[in-house]
Amino acid sequence: MSRLRKKRAHGDVELNLAAMLDMAFQLLTFFILTFKPAPVEGQVNLRLPPPAPIQSANATKDLGSDTSTNELPKGVKTLTITIFPNERGDLAALGIGEAPVSSLAALESKLKTIFSDPSNPFDQVILQVGKSLRYDELMRVVEVCTRQTLPDGHPLSKLSLVELPDGSK
Amino acid sequence: MESTEGTPNLTPILDMVFQLITFFMLVINFKSASMDLTLRLPVVGSARPVDHQGEVDLLVLNINDKGDLNVYGIKKNIEEYIAGEAMTSRLTARRKGAKIEPGDELPTTVVIRADRSTPFYLLNRVILACQQNGFRNFALKAMNKEQS
Repeated sequence: MSRLRKKRAHGDVELNLAAMLDMAFQLLTFFILTFKPAPVEGQVNLRLPPPAPIQSANATKDLGSDTSTNELPKGVKTLTITIFPNERGDLAALGIGEAPVSSLAALESKLKTIFSDPSNPFDQVILQVGKSLRYDELMRVVEVCTRQTLPDGHPLSKLSLVELPDGSK
Repeated sequence: MESTEGTPNLTPILDMVFQLITFFMLVINFKSASMDLTLRLPVVGSARPVDHQGEVDLLVLNINDKGDLNVYGIKKNIEEYIAGEAMTSRLTARRKGAKIEPGDELPTTVVIRADRSTPFYLLNRVILACQQNGFRNFALKAMNKEQS
């Protein structure tokens, strides 16, 4: 043991930490310069299938032509929500089907009534949106829709978006 | 002069620098490079952060108020880029054993980060391109409160 101690004392090595410190500072500078904390973003998860053609419930020929099933053809049970923008792209008017809706709160209460009725199993919900509507205004309507619960207990997350033709703003 | 000469002990400063490096290494997130932080996202109260833990394939699309698609700061042709990403998603799914034919629904979730003032017809162009290529699952990014 004593011989070992003697050897160590004679060959004492001093590490030059300056070079290591230089490198560590370079790494630190890199991390400080590239550090940009991303804001915490939320998201609204949706299933957006392309809209199926809407069939009129009065089209009795099409509806009765298939005698092999009692189910209604797809597209008959479609809930359409129409959103009209003004010149600035703000939300100007709303409608469910043919009926106008005065505000987002009214839309929410109407949707609640519709979806609480189990006899209204909609195949699809279509948002008909005016071309110039701003994204943040659209998201206000989408938020109202996604707050609804379907009769099966699942939240409404399946929507289809359709652009209103020219002339409807 | 010679009598005052001394060597500074660099060990504590090195320790501190290494601790700082460790901190920055742990908090750095290169995913944020794919996000265009100049976009002003809409504010939606019910929007909640979701952590997929890397289990879901994501396709992040940054759309500015002119309807341009920016990927890592480079403007891309919307239709071509989405078609290319759809092919990549299909090949990735096939490698994982899924049987996906052209026209089938893709397992990738499209993350849309659009500026709040983007008109709907420009946004819809991107959504339609995604739908035509088989994407069905979308995540619309929003802030849940206004940022100062």
